[in-house]
Amino acid sequence: MHRMRLPAVILISLVVLTVGVPAASAKVATITMSGSTSVAPLAAKLAKGYLKIKKNKGKVRFKLAQGGSDVGVADVAAGRVTIGNSSRDAKPSDPGGLVFNPIAKDAICLITNPSNNLGNLTLQQVQDIFSGKTVSWSDVPGASASGPISLVVRTAASGTQDAFQKIFMGSAKVASSAAQKASNGLVQQAVKGDRNAIGYVSLDFVGGVNAVSYRGVACNLRNAKSGEYGGVRNFWMVTRGAAVGAAAKFIKWIQTAAAAQRIVATDWVPLR
Amino acid sequence: MARAGLTRPWTDRRAERTLGAVASIVLILIATMVVFVLAKAWPSFAHNGLRWFGGGGNVDDQLKAIFNSPADPNKYIYTLHAWPLLYGTALTTFLAVGAGLVFATLAAIFIVEFAPPRARAVLEPVVRLLAAVPSVIYGLIGILVLVKFVGEHLISEGRKASVIYVIQLSGSSLLVAVVILTVMITPIMIAIIVDALRSVPRGWVEGSAALGANRWRTMWTISVRVARPAIVAAAVLATARALGEAIMLSMVSGSVGFAPNPLDGLTFFFEPTRPLAATIVDNAEGLSVKPFGQTIYAFAAVLLVSSLFLSLGGWAAKQPLKRYAVRT
Repeated sequence: MHRMRLPAVILISLVVLTVGVPAASAKVATITMSGSTSVAPLAAKLAKGYLKIKKNKGKVRFKLAQGGSDVGVADVAAGRVTIGNSSRDAKPSDPGGLVFNPIAKDAICLITNPSNNLGNLTLQQVQDIFSGKTVSWSDVPGASASGPISLVVRTAASGTQDAFQKIFMGSAKVASSAAQKASNGLVQQAVKGDRNAIGYVSLDFVGGVNAVSYRGVACNLRNAKSGEYGGVRNFWMVTRGAAVGAAAKFIKWIQTAAAAQRIVATDWVPLR
Repeated sequence: MARAGLTRPWTDRRAERTLGAVASIVLILIATMVVFVLAKAWPSFAHNGLRWFGGGGNVDDQLKAIFNSPADPNKYIYTLHAWPLLYGTALTTFLAVGAGLVFATLAAIFIVEFAPPRARAVLEPVVRLLAAVPSVIYGLIGILVLVKFVGEHLISEGRKASVIYVIQLSGSSLLVAVVILTVMITPIMIAIIVDALRSVPRGWVEGSAALGANRWRTMWTISVRVARPAIVAAAVLATARALGEAIMLSMVSGSVGFAPNPLDGLTFFFEPTRPLAATIVDNAEGLSVKPFGQTIYAFAAVLLVSSLFLSLGGWAAKQPLKRYAVRT
């Protein structure tokens, strides 16, 4: 009877590890979220604000994980989380039955190295630069850099890439020689380190770089809120089917409550 | 009760069974993983056949097309010619291992034979410590310091302009990738080669000295010769680490699926590239799109199979060298 104990112990521990800890008691509703790294800071602030309301205290709990818009969409479609955060719009290849609930808007800024204080770009100029038609800064009026332009863009799976393509490029193709970075921070870093670089990032990431005006409107929170700035995209909370229970209340609160809109307005653009 | 069971003296029979069970679990896990990855990757290989490994078209555009496949499973896009990624992997790995092997052998000889005791007392622990530095730290140094320096001071604007219609040079380059990769893998190789040189029988070394050979000659003709299997083992281990290195390479190698062209002369070293492992990291966000995920698994499968062949190759390369080696 004693002979096979240790292997048995190992097997049991493996099983316990894979099965995981059972869910918490049923009285407290747990809302789990995963997905976009751009949405995550906002989601965390909103969750904190939601818990400050008296009637929610002790009734609801949040768990937030990150990993990119597509991870969020996949997780919620598979039922691993209650809400998937996404910074890109719904795609035809997404699993069926998902509901994209808008929660806020965010601006996409064109950025250059601080030594290149380029003032403004028109839609045509943006398309020419990013498609590789214009290859030298001397062909861009207002640029104080000279020499060849280095393009810094995002990888195919990025929500920001998806939004940039839709808002700025339309049917034009981004030059395939462009460096593709996996996150907003890496784009920001690459542009900071290269005098000839131009890239695009979420409004949160314009520190230390020169944010270029687009169609004569500066890329900042005020212009994004007023609707003057053209490069604005949506943040979504994705649910499988229409949201129910605690998640439905939470999303409704974000979309309608004045307090939630104030939280959004700290760094992002409220829906209304 | 369990405690009594565990503290009882172990019979050989019991140890054999227990350890056997543990070893089988590990084997089963590895086998399951290989089968799982290959099964996931299969559609990508099946749709492209041998052309998967060939060139043609822009690999990043192909990845983007796969990612934006229509929802209908019958219309999934799989077309991929992964040559630039495979070539980038081979290029960074072999250049780094080649350079590292030379440095590591010379450094090991110095540590074992020529270093004054004080220098040795500092050098050895430092080398072993360096072998354990996480790669993301190397990546940070690379992106904050080296990439910037290379982009600003080593690549002239004329050089950038000369290839602008093919590829942009920004400092993230083959050169930086290989330099940092070499720094990353050399300490492991030094540690292994030092151990091997130390285990050369004293009598052989003293015999050589008695015949009038100086220390350098003895080292080169006796010790290094004897340690060759260990040097091969060090190279295999280093190659495995270089093959699988993802984060650092994703940060400094340029993030473009481009095949640097040796015919470009010096510019070759400044051209960006993106190895397989870095491609997996950069695109992990898109795993939920089915054909895209299967393509990523195909990259993983290639890496997995190459490391398998690497171990086999290392074993085969060691066999003839063992004639002169220390028998252990």
